[in-house]
Amino acid sequence: MICLSKNEQGAELLAGYLSKALDAPRMTELGRHIQECADCRGLASVWERLDEFAVPEVSPGFDARLYARIASEEARASLSSWRHWLWRPVAPLAAAAAVVTLVLFLHVPGSPDSAKQASKAEIEQVAQAVDDLDLLTPLADTRDK
Amino acid sequence: MEAVAAPERDAQLMLRVREGDHSSFGMLLERHRGPVVHFLYRMVQNQAVSEELAQEVFLRVYRSRETYEPTAKFTTWLFRIATHVALNSIRDCKKEKGHESLDEEMLDGTERQVADRQPTVEQEMVHEVKLREVRQAIEALPAKQRAAVLMHKYESLDYAQIAGVLGCSESAIKSLLFRAYETLRDRLAHMA
Repeated sequence: MICLSKNEQGAELLAGYLSKALDAPRMTELGRHIQECADCRGLASVWERLDEFAVPEVSPGFDARLYARIASEEARASLSSWRHWLWRPVAPLAAAAAVVTLVLFLHVPGSPDSAKQASKAEIEQVAQAVDDLDLLTPLADTRDK
Repeated sequence: MEAVAAPERDAQLMLRVREGDHSSFGMLLERHRGPVVHFLYRMVQNQAVSEELAQEVFLRVYRSRETYEPTAKFTTWLFRIATHVALNSIRDCKKEKGHESLDEEMLDGTERQVADRQPTVEQEMVHEVKLREVRQAIEALPAKQRAAVLMHKYESLDYAQIAGVLGCSESAIKSLLFRAYETLRDRLAHMA
């Protein structure tokens, strides 16, 4: 005897029976059983009741809305990849430029070498000025006399 | 019943989508739009919400095209996404309990379908009451049971596929389904 309530395959058997997908001996056996068993009759009737749950047609604009969303997503994705593509070669150059600027800023004005060069030039200038003064001094003396 | 045919072709179509063939996505959409929207409609019982969720499902399918691998049946994969989206929506709706349902709008639509057979006003009212009871009985099922019943009853998915969708063993699905049908039988007994 096949009792749907006591069979692990109950739901499947019921579906098979109601869609007439079972083999002939099983159809007959289950049909006879359903007539006799109130529980199974109840299950069979649930299956039929569920057929009453109709669904509405899908809106005509469904596909168009979906394709519009896909297009918008793809446009966003391509814009972002374009930005990435544009930024990719510029980024290392910008970083290198920043480093060079930083190095120049830190080293050029206050570096010991440049300070040394500056003071050397200053000494040369003072020495030149003293030499010029030495040259001019005798001339001044003779004029006074 | 809304049988989903040619599963092996679905996977091939999806692989073609992965290669950039947009027309294959259109074919998949054509084939599965109805089952997915109807499944979601029966899950959330609201047409606008079900279509919005179905859009999300197909959008996720499209987004996943580059990583898609045909390890499971396409329908199992598709309904896994649909169920996930539906369960999230149901969970969110429970949080915002009290928001207005659009049920009435749908009942009107269903009524019009019946009107083709020219039923009497009384027949229409009886049908409407029965339909409401069926919908309420389904809605009262725990979300996982509801999803399993809808996939089994209306989408013709077998135990293995439903198990794949819900991430359970086949035997767990068998008992889950049977408990669900018994609950429905008890709730709808007076209609028999």
